[in-house]
Amino acid sequence: MKVICDRAGLLDAVNLVAAVVPVRSPSPQLSCVRLEASKGKAGSDLHLTGTDAETSLQFSLAQCDAQKAGLVVVPAEKLRQIIQATDTDPTLTLESDSDACLITGANSRFKVFGYPASDFPKTLPFAEALAQDKPRTTFVHSAGGLLGLIHRTSFATARESSRYAINGVLLRRDGKKLEMAATDGRRLALARTTVKSAASTESSPSSCIIPSKALNLFTRLALDPEEGVRVAITERRVYFAFGVDITGKDEARAPRAVLSSALVEGTFPPYEDVIPKDQDKKAVIARDAFAGAVRRAAILTNEESRGVRMAFSGKSKRLKISSRAPEMGEAEIEVDLTSFDGDDIEISFNPAFIVDALKVMDQEQVTFELKASNKPGLMRSESDFVYVVMPVNLPT
Amino acid sequence: MPVVAAAPSRIRLLDPLVVNQIAAGEVVERPSSVVKELVENAIDAGAARIVVEMERGGIELVRVTDDGAGIEPDDLQLAIAQHATSKIRSSHDLERVATMGFRGEALASIASVSRLTLRSRTRAHGGAVAISVEGTHTEGVHPESGPPGTQVTVRNLFFNTPARRKFLRTEATEGGRCAAVVEEIALAFPAVGFEFRSDGRLTLDLPPNQDPRARALSVLGKELEPELLEVSDDGTASGAGVTLWGLAGRPSLARATTQAQHIYVNGRAVRDKTIQHAVKEAYRGLIEPGRHPAVLLMIDIDPASVDVNVHPAKAEVRFRDPGVIHSAVLHGLRRALTRADLTPSVSGSWGTSGSSPTASPWAGEWGRAVLPGSGGGASSDLPRGKSASDRAFIDRVQTGDSPGPPSRFDYQAVRQALDAAASAPGGAPPEPGELAQPPRRADRIIQVHNSYVVTEDEEGMVIIDQHALHERAMFEKLLSRIASGDLESQRLLAPVVVRATARQLERLQDLAPVSKRIGLVLEPIGPSEVAVQAFPTFLFDRGVSEGAFVEWLLDRACEESFVPNSEEALHEVLDMMACKAAIKAGHALGEQELAELLSMRDRIERSSNCPHGRPTSIRLSIRELDRRFGRS
Repeated sequence: MKVICDRAGLLDAVNLVAAVVPVRSPSPQLSCVRLEASKGKAGSDLHLTGTDAETSLQFSLAQCDAQKAGLVVVPAEKLRQIIQATDTDPTLTLESDSDACLITGANSRFKVFGYPASDFPKTLPFAEALAQDKPRTTFVHSAGGLLGLIHRTSFATARESSRYAINGVLLRRDGKKLEMAATDGRRLALARTTVKSAASTESSPSSCIIPSKALNLFTRLALDPEEGVRVAITERRVYFAFGVDITGKDEARAPRAVLSSALVEGTFPPYEDVIPKDQDKKAVIARDAFAGAVRRAAILTNEESRGVRMAFSGKSKRLKISSRAPEMGEAEIEVDLTSFDGDDIEISFNPAFIVDALKVMDQEQVTFELKASNKPGLMRSESDFVYVVMPVNLPT
Repeated sequence: MPVVAAAPSRIRLLDPLVVNQIAAGEVVERPSSVVKELVENAIDAGAARIVVEMERGGIELVRVTDDGAGIEPDDLQLAIAQHATSKIRSSHDLERVATMGFRGEALASIASVSRLTLRSRTRAHGGAVAISVEGTHTEGVHPESGPPGTQVTVRNLFFNTPARRKFLRTEATEGGRCAAVVEEIALAFPAVGFEFRSDGRLTLDLPPNQDPRARALSVLGKELEPELLEVSDDGTASGAGVTLWGLAGRPSLARATTQAQHIYVNGRAVRDKTIQHAVKEAYRGLIEPGRHPAVLLMIDIDPASVDVNVHPAKAEVRFRDPGVIHSAVLHGLRRALTRADLTPSVSGSWGTSGSSPTASPWAGEWGRAVLPGSGGGASSDLPRGKSASDRAFIDRVQTGDSPGPPSRFDYQAVRQALDAAASAPGGAPPEPGELAQPPRRADRIIQVHNSYVVTEDEEGMVIIDQHALHERAMFEKLLSRIASGDLESQRLLAPVVVRATARQLERLQDLAPVSKRIGLVLEPIGPSEVAVQAFPTFLFDRGVSEGAFVEWLLDRACEESFVPNSEEALHEVLDMMACKAAIKAGHALGEQELAELLSMRDRIERSSNCPHGRPTSIRLSIRELDRRFGRS
């Protein structure tokens, strides 16, 4: 193998792939990246692959000139350090020398010992992988559209919950409807969109639970919101192929990156059931003013007294938010309500849960629907985002 | 008109064989029950040596031979009659049963489901006599030759009750249970010699007149010696007639089941919730929840204070005052574990390899599922290839020298210490050597094996148990917080459902006051489930699982030592919350977390002077270091 690469492009690619690779692993081959240079009619490519058995990422670097095809498997962290440190070189040459990799810059030369390529876990090119692991559903959507779903839900996932299934985000596709949901048992975030690609061939809805790590990688890979991403859900894995034809028609176009991840096993809670249908109090509030007021009230809360009390008054069209932390102090903030329908109500929430949702809502005016002080609160923006948040019982 | 069953059943008296067979169902479940009953009889007869033989897992043959008192020839016929016993005479005696058996149903029950031969000779008689029974058919008493003592031979168990026979497991499993029963009894009677032969092979040979410790090591495996800490009571419970002796396994010996717990009350192996809870509590923070420590406990109590007539197999007992037992066990174990903490980890016994012929085959006892050599081989969890001292070393390295658990009921002392500190002008008078601590440098804090934090102060180096310190700090926080009102409670999106027994559901109401204070909302749903509707924010934020916490609470509420609506109960629950919420041993801490933990230490350090609590930190002074390196 011999390939001359644009150093900056190579650094980006190695940074991405190294993010998948485990730093410490019982088998040193797993801490490696697999580099394969190919010379085709379409031009040169350097394919980088990293995996931790759960998640794997294949990345194709086009800003390179492959002079000799071939492959090499080298420790990811050393490779990353070298590329990062050779910051005066516009280009670097990578060459394989049996199981080692030579990295040559203008004034520097490195030889990094690697491993036989056969020791590296097998990762198939996207098309072949899908041919072996038949998808339950597959569709093309814009990177930006998928990012929007992730952005509006993944913040609500549980961290290290014993209910394993809620540590990931649910992705559900039902015909043209596409939605993501996340919950930590105290709140639920649900975001929806419509698949623009050709109508699906499958009749029944498909869903899967995607681990947070994979979604974090997705956000790092999704740089161009207009880029087409093919999503394929198989029995045990989910694949995201970046850089496919957005219309889904040009099947032959090779993706620039393929992220795949094992799915979270388990059953996601029946989230539709927890969305309340009979809220009889409805407040409309300016989003930023509301978020600011909640943040200010949250200053005087602490670990043992997290909640802030919200008193909605229809007559004065005001919301009074108060907090109290024993041995610390108390706060009281007032905000105007754009409108309020229903009886006055007092209810308490964890302020972080309210702010989290307001951060991802696009509209300047948000609606907050309530029922009783021990019943859930419901926030919506248009029809594409629903947020259910459970109150806290503040000590009296 | 409703249709009446075709053949109306008449009520009639059952014939005696059927009565005995029904009784046998309760007493004689499997070969091991036969072994248990017969060996217990032998012990009650004052035997010095007991030989147990079995063939084909005891299904073919169980024979127990003792050198005890024997039975008078005239009584032989009576011995196999229902409810005939020499052990008690009146219901008054039931109050103070000191023998192993007393119901007088064992021999009759066994005889009704097997071919039983009873041969016995008292020392006063020149020759033995024997009687054979097969179902209803009894052969008359006839003379036979034999040494003083009694021999009971049970052949073809369940030959006339095929349904029962069908429920037996494989010979290896049944044989393993028989062996376990003999070991169980042998542990309790170190003065009695035991031999156990399976299909002619001697697999257990215990000499008579051993002391309890020697007996325990002979049965459990000598190489475990360094892993076992001796437990005794501190004399405080002796007023209540309770004495305690035992061996506590280091936390590394903990198992997934309670099988490695050998608990005896007056020489009888029991499964008792109160004791098991005390054991679990004593080890809390030392082993993962869900695992069970390995312990051997011998509890002696005035027979009048314990009711053993609860269960036909006598596996359950009822204490007149479970609180006394609970506290004796808890404190006995804690003292043993705490003392172990204080011994330097590099000196002390490294264990001698077992040289007794019986020691090595039984080394896997604390978790063994199969009889050694009976096909499955010894399935010890310990790495087989390593010597005992290797293992002991590995354990030390992995767990540190097991620290004792945080003391639960020392909050008063903690409070007093803090109050004293607060009331003294400018804080409590500082201890010598604590006058001016240099500001800590972050680069001088290291975490060892993700469990201990090592830093320096003016005196030298300080080693901190991260879990113990954090738990103490959390507990403090909760205690001061709850004084100003109920804890904050987060409602759940959908209730978490926890399975509960009828008894646990009954206790829900008793739990209500404590639940309310900690911000837990539980509602019964249906006959066997409880829904968690709201959960303390404090626990939620720290990733404590609702299900596990509520299960613990319900279990605890069902124990008699739990007095609902008492301050003690509330403190216990708060301590549990603190424990669950605290950083665990084995958890890697970031730089900031380490600094935070150390700042907590500054706040509560004086509490480590509490006489009941174990230390949260240990200091190794520069002087001591100098001494050890030979610099002084």
